[in-house]
Parts: sequence; C-alpha cells; structure tokens
Amino acid sequence: MIADFIDGPFWYFSLTVFTIGIIWKLVTIVFGKRKADLSVARGSGISGAIKTIFSRFKADKGMTPHIRLQVVAGYMFHLGLFALLFFAAPHVLFLEENFFSFEGMSFSWTPMPHWAFIIASEFAFLGLLMLWLHRVLNPVSRLISTADDHIASILTFVVMLTGCLALLESFNELRLLHRFSVELFLIYFPFSRLMHAFTFIPSRAFTGAWFGRRGISS
Amino acid sequence: MSNRFMSKHSQKFTCQIYFFLYLIFFLCLLSPLNVSASGPAASKINNPSNDLWISVRHNTESGKVTSQVKSVDSTVLINPQADRWTRFRMTQLINYGLFILSVVAVVIMLFYLFRGRIKLEEGLSGIMVHRFTDYERILHWMLAIVFIFLAGTGLILLFGRPLLIPVLGHEFFSVLASASKEGHNLFGPIFFVSLLLMLFRFVRRNIYAKGDLTWLLKGGGLIGKSHVTGGFFNMGEKTWYWIVILTGLAISVSGLVLVLPNFGQGRVIMELSHVVHGIAAIILVSVSFGHIYLATKGTEGTLESMKTGYVDIKWAEEHHDRWAKECHDNDRLISAEDYAKLQGRVVLDQNVSASPLMEETK
Repeated sequence: MIADFIDGPFWYFSLTVFTIGIIWKLVTIVFGKRKADLSVARGSGISGAIKTIFSRFKADKGMTPHIRLQVVAGYMFHLGLFALLFFAAPHVLFLEENFFSFEGMSFSWTPMPHWAFIIASEFAFLGLLMLWLHRVLNPVSRLISTADDHIASILTFVVMLTGCLALLESFNELRLLHRFSVELFLIYFPFSRLMHAFTFIPSRAFTGAWFGRRGISS
Repeated sequence: MSNRFMSKHSQKFTCQIYFFLYLIFFLCLLSPLNVSASGPAASKINNPSNDLWISVRHNTESGKVTSQVKSVDSTVLINPQADRWTRFRMTQLINYGLFILSVVAVVIMLFYLFRGRIKLEEGLSGIMVHRFTDYERILHWMLAIVFIFLAGTGLILLFGRPLLIPVLGHEFFSVLASASKEGHNLFGPIFFVSLLLMLFRFVRRNIYAKGDLTWLLKGGGLIGKSHVTGGFFNMGEKTWYWIVILTGLAISVSGLVLVLPNFGQGRVIMELSHVVHGIAAIILVSVSFGHIYLATKGTEGTLESMKTGYVDIKWAEEHHDRWAKECHDNDRLISAEDYAKLQGRVVLDQNVSASPLMEETK
C-alpha cells in the first residue's frame, strides 16, 4: 500500500512539483521586469558574462585564506554529489528506465565502478558535514543562515544517507525509504536555496554581463 | 555324578560366555567408532573417511590441495579458527561488552547522583577567553557525529541478535542490520580521515608534561575539593585524546582490513581484525560515555568551549589554571559585551568589527 503510493502517485506528484517549480522560477527570473540600462556600454556584456561564469569557480584571492575550508569542502561535496547522482550504477539504470526509454529503445551511459562510488560518497558526506558544521559553528555563517539553509542541508544529507543505506539493494523497504526522501527533496527543491543548482550559471552570467557592460573587471 | 559334571560344565560355559562378552566390550572400546576423531590417535586408524575429513579440516596435506579458484584461502575448505572466533564473539565479546558498557553507564549515573554537577566555585564571570578555532570545533564535531553514528550502527550489529531480535523480530532486524552494515562501512573511512586530522591538529598540545601527574594523583578534581593544576589540556583530557587516537587507529585499520578484502588478507587475519575492532570499539564507546557526561551535564561551562570556541575565565582558572595565567598575561580576555557581539547576539557595530578577535573568529 505505502510502497505503491511511494512508487506511484507520490513519485509523479513530486516530479510534477519539481518540474513546474523549476520552470516557473526560471521563467520569472529570465522574464522578470528590470530597469533598462541606459548607460553607454564601456565593454562587452557577453564576454563579461562568459568570463564571470568561469572565474567564479576559483575563490577570490583576497578571500581565500578566510574561506579555504568552505572552498575545499564545497568542491568535495558538489563533485561527489554530482558523481553519485549521475554515475552511480543504480541511478544510471533508474534514469535509463524512467527517462531515456522510448518505444523499445533506450539511452544510457557507463556507470562508475563500485570503488569510485565509495570514494565519491565519502567525498560528498565529508564535504557536506564540514559545510553544515561551519554554518552552525561559525558565528558569522550562523547569523546569516536561515531555516531554509539548515533544512536543505539536512534533507540532502538524509537523501544521501538513505541511498547509501540501501546500497546492498536487498531490501525493498530501504529502497522505498530512499525514494521517499528523494520525493520530499524534489518537492522542497524549487522553493528553497537548492535552486542554486539551476540558477548559479544564469546568476553569474547576469552579474558578469552587468559588470562587463560597465567595464568593471571582476 | 552327572549332575556334578553338568554343574562344572555349566560353570565353565558361563565363564566362557562372560569372557567372550568382556572381549567384545573391550574390542568395542578400541573400535574406530569410539576413538575420538579429533585426537591424534585418530590419524593412526586406517579409515579413509576419517583421514579425508581430518585432512580437509586441518589441511594436513598442504600444497596438495588445489582449486580452480586462485585466490586467498581458496584451498581451505574448513577453517577451524573460525569456530574459535565465532565462540569468542558469541560468548565473550557480546556478553563482556554488554556488561562493560552497562557498568560504565551505571557508574556514571551513580556518580551523578552522589556527586552532582561539578559547579564552578566562584561561578561564571561572563569574561571570556578564546579556546578553540572554528576549524578545531568543526573537526571535533565531525568526529563526534561520525563516531556516534558508527557506535550506534556497530552496537546494533554486535548486540542485535540477543537484544533487538526479541523486541523487533527477525524481519525488521534484518532490514535494520543491512542498513547499519552499509552505513557503518561507508562512514568508517570518514571517521579515519577525521581522526587523522584530529591527530595532526591537537597532538602538540596533548603531549604529557610536568604537572600532569599531580592532576592524576588528585583524581582530576573529581575526588575531594582540592584544586588541581592544568595547562591548556589537563591530564584527563590528554588521556582521553590518546585513547581516542590509539583505539581509533586500531578500529580504523582493523575496519579497513574487514571492509576491503581486495588486499589479499585471509580469513584468519580478518577474524583477528574483527576481534581487535570489537574490543577497541567497546573500550572507546565506554570511555566516551565519561567524556560525553563530563563535557555536558557533568561540569559547568565545559560545553561552551566546543559550542562557541570561548570559555569563561573562571572555568579556565579552575580547570586549566596554567593556561588561564597565560591568557591573563597576554591580555586575551574579552568582556561579556564584546563576547555577545562576537556571537551575533547584538547588532554588530564598527568597534566590534575592528576587533582583532573578529579576525580570529573568521
């Protein structure tokens, strides 16, 4: 009964909320009303946008000594999570069966080996734990953090944890627990700062274009 | 006459029957069926079945046993060491482990009931001093969180059979045990990494020094009311640190031996690793009860150091007087007002952001 609900209606509901929520958010950002920039352009907006998209992958020189831990932990977590999400063997199979199968034809890619999965998950867990602890323990980070930040961190952790607990793939209960946590995550996603997964590139591009047009080197 | 003859004949016959029965009984005692198959005499009995199983069990013809499977222990059909390991786990590790953990928990509870919370003699002053950086506290809590998770899942796996199955049932416990095993294996390396980072970060301050023995002789202040002297870390904290490091390393290395069978270790090494893993884990978990108690409920003002990185100067003077003196000498004391600002409890103003401690906090 519960299993049917998690695998059926709740899955489709969470997927719908996630998809519509993401589209809605992106549309409102892209087509939102902004004041026209009437100033004379001193540089190229496009080159500024492209430059900023990539330059922001590296921490600012002056800030680096103060944020070394966040940068290292941030990369560990995000790269680990990306590898888990798209290259873990159960996920590749799931995506192939549910999203990339059309009338007997299917599309898939090579999953990473088990040892790589373990390393990726270690990196992801270690990074996420460090980032969350920094958020809680550093007075400045604690002060600027909201409930949304903590919920997003904990929800991500729970999704990763339940996924790893179900790694043996022997118990349907553990698979359902993981899927249920993923569904909660999908529902929460568009209404939270987790949206940065989709907005970080447009956001950098917008800032970079704005700076580029004004001739600001950043 | 004939009766006498018959009687003598009958007696002789009876004696012969008894003799014959004794002979059968004696032969029976010597028969291969009654000779213990495990004794050394067994190998002398020419019974092909016995020889086969003795050879299989003890691998007496080592080198002659071959297998198509070319891997470690692939020629071992029966591992007699495993019986000892199973008996040790089922009868000693589980029973004594449970006993030790229960006794430690009861002793701590009794200690709390009789001694109560150890309060500061002069109370909290509100004047603070910086003790741990953000990085040190992150390390501590990361190790603590991972340790609690590993301890929980490890205890489920160790004591699940006698304690949890009667309560939860086999079906639910099998799911819980599977999840615990996967979680335990996955978080183990994170514990190891955290432990190494902890080792490198704190080792210098945890080397035993002059004055530590005095602390020990006075029972660390837990016994009696006399004042005990201490540096940045007192002897109790140093001992706890080394227990964490040494048992943690034993647990980590033995855990890696168990979780990574790819490196060619055989079953016997893995069984020994399991014994080391179990014993070291029981020691660490039981001592951690004391650490957790003293750091939270047991001693006033201690938890603050790992929550905010700052401690009250009165706490420092009572538990770490030599370090407190250093703080006084180097003028590292922070007023209650500045401390509140550093913790973001009041709106930050320009004076605070210009404070050198703000940089340290960052």
